[in-house]
Amino acid sequence: MERSIKQFETDRLESAKLAAKLILASGTTSPRVGGVGECTIHTFDDPCDIEDICQEVEHMAELKENWNFFKRDAAILRDADVLMIATSLRCVVDPADINCNMCGKLVCEYFKEEEKLPDDPEIAFRGPLCIFRANNISYAIDGMMSQARNLGIDYGVYWSAGAAAMRMKLLPKNTGFALGMGISVTEKSPFRDIPANYADINQRTMNDRIIKRLWPQFRSIYS
Amino acid sequence: MAITELPDLIEKGLQQAVELMAVAANNSFRFKDLNSLKIIVIGIEEMESIAEYCFSLGDMSPLAARDGRHLIQLIKEPCRLMILGDKRKSPFNYDCGACGYRTCKEMNKAEKVESLTANGPSCQFRNLNLNIATNAAASLAHRLGLHCRVFSTLAFAALSLEIIEDVDIVTSVSVSAANKNPYFDRHEFWTQEHWDETFDNEFPTFKRGFIGAVE
Repeated sequence: MERSIKQFETDRLESAKLAAKLILASGTTSPRVGGVGECTIHTFDDPCDIEDICQEVEHMAELKENWNFFKRDAAILRDADVLMIATSLRCVVDPADINCNMCGKLVCEYFKEEEKLPDDPEIAFRGPLCIFRANNISYAIDGMMSQARNLGIDYGVYWSAGAAAMRMKLLPKNTGFALGMGISVTEKSPFRDIPANYADINQRTMNDRIIKRLWPQFRSIYS
Repeated sequence: MAITELPDLIEKGLQQAVELMAVAANNSFRFKDLNSLKIIVIGIEEMESIAEYCFSLGDMSPLAARDGRHLIQLIKEPCRLMILGDKRKSPFNYDCGACGYRTCKEMNKAEKVESLTANGPSCQFRNLNLNIATNAAASLAHRLGLHCRVFSTLAFAALSLEIIEDVDIVTSVSVSAANKNPYFDRHEFWTQEHWDETFDNEFPTFKRGFIGAVE
């Protein structure tokens, strides 16, 4: 019997979800400063959830000129099969108490006294954050990337998705910093060699354009 | 055929491994493809001075003192220390707010605060790039079967001793080819008295006869 292409499509998505679980495992077991739990990793594999986050990313792109590239991020992330978001939970309220001065406050006591940035739409992360703590997220993300490479899964890291998920309150309380990683099981990586104007010209916008052009003719033929 | 003995093999293998780790760190993922890291690998002499420095911080930081004592043990067997560093200012123009300033421009203009450990304020994404590279190096060391651990204390010491120069934020990866993994389960560095004291402080109720008893 010939196997259907639809079956392949279903299996492909299943494999992406399975890979996401293994990637989560690797990200979770990567090093943490002082061996203290800090990061959580969340998986969004429902296309509707991913779409919600992408819409928020697009919304953020309109807020600020610096964030215009978020539009392209959103278009790329729509092509991802699974979106994973790593968070840093301690960097806002629980500095590492080692007086490392990476935040520029000299000692952690001064950091605790420092007022946080206001809850403003133009601010992605309400710093100052304990950078020493937040650095854990880079270990988590690299653990995830390393596993994705091992498994031969395409991936892309986008901070826009993390910031949008934080804004949508999808992440745990006290999340101070978050990064998104899209993973994809497709023949061509949707994260590499993507045109600069991908937000305007992609499969979805092209479909829309074709439908818009052809629809009046269809309507007249079939009515 | 020439015979090469194990110590020679290990020494050469270790050298090749750190070279590969440097390549892995150099080729790791970067935000905005910004590759501005400074990566050095140091030998026994520098490690000795780092160990002395860390040990001398005993009163200020027991953790640094422990790592100093550990480093003295570590350098008796084949080992290397890779130090990675980067500048603190933000070239990203993301204006994300994580550093506590509304814009990258504000952060870059802010007064530089120098200290023994790092110069702040520093850009969060610079830190991410640095630490992703560190993790990539550590990950390769792990795969190559080396004993490996990431240390901030040793890197801070290297910064204040000016072993690595022209950088503001640092981190380090220590690798070793010792007979036993020297990085974890280091019980010899904490005495029984220390644990007893910590236990008494943390769980004062444990030794009480009954609830409400006065010690």
